[in-house]
Amino acid sequence: MSPADDIEDTDPGLARERTELAWTRTAISFAAIGGVILKYEPAAGLLILALSVLIWELGRLARAPGPAGPGGSAAAAWVRSRRLLLIAVAVTIVSFVALAIVLFGPPSRGLRL
Amino acid sequence: METMARPLRAGRAPAELMAVYAAEERSSLPGEEQPTEASGPEGSPGRAQSADEVEPDARFSFANERTFLAWSRTALALVVAGLGIIQLLPPFPGIPWGRHIVGIPLILLGSVVSVVSYLEWKSSQRALRRGEPLTRTRLPQVLAATVAVIALVAAALSVISAATRS
Repeated sequence: MSPADDIEDTDPGLARERTELAWTRTAISFAAIGGVILKYEPAAGLLILALSVLIWELGRLARAPGPAGPGGSAAAAWVRSRRLLLIAVAVTIVSFVALAIVLFGPPSRGLRL
Repeated sequence: METMARPLRAGRAPAELMAVYAAEERSSLPGEEQPTEASGPEGSPGRAQSADEVEPDARFSFANERTFLAWSRTALALVVAGLGIIQLLPPFPGIPWGRHIVGIPLILLGSVVSVVSYLEWKSSQRALRRGEPLTRTRLPQVLAATVAVIALVAAALSVISAATRS
């Protein structure tokens, strides 16, 4: 019996839904920081906003019971690995953009409270 | 083919459960074909997978994925915090680079957390496939220690700034 024949692998219940919600939260986080960076660097902000849409779509793949979801074939595991690598790379890019803004951007006087 | 039942063993850690499941599957499949044309997440789809690796229970894969996503959101929060400190806080009087001293380490920590959490996910997924114990991560300790040090530095800067102003 291959692992995919196991009923718990093909229907992991609410774990799939929780994972999709985690992807959604991650996409919303990206959108929020994209909105913040949009104020300082419009091009970079738009890029991050576009990334958030891509991450949202990737999260929808987590719901798919087919090859893109965890617990499936080895090819599905490879796809999953690349999706997560994209997230890691995107967060690193966002941090470098933030670093560029604070180091090379115009000096900020801060909020006047 | 009969579906193998996998009752949850109460009181056992996920890594231990995975080791039990993997051992059960290996012992129950003496004549069955093992995945030969497969790969781990670090390989290409066509790369061969070793015979003692089994795709883990979906619930554990999902949990591992959610942990990675939670770390990624933590990394994003660190970046936003650093950016916010530098761009939104008023400057420390008498310490022109004070905001940068606090904010830049937070942004750098965000990128480190992002990369390390991916490596941790990969390592955990490999351990799950092999039925081995999960590796112990130092990321929470590193995060807590760094945030604590940055908080202390921020407090010190506030005191120095207030002393300079008075």
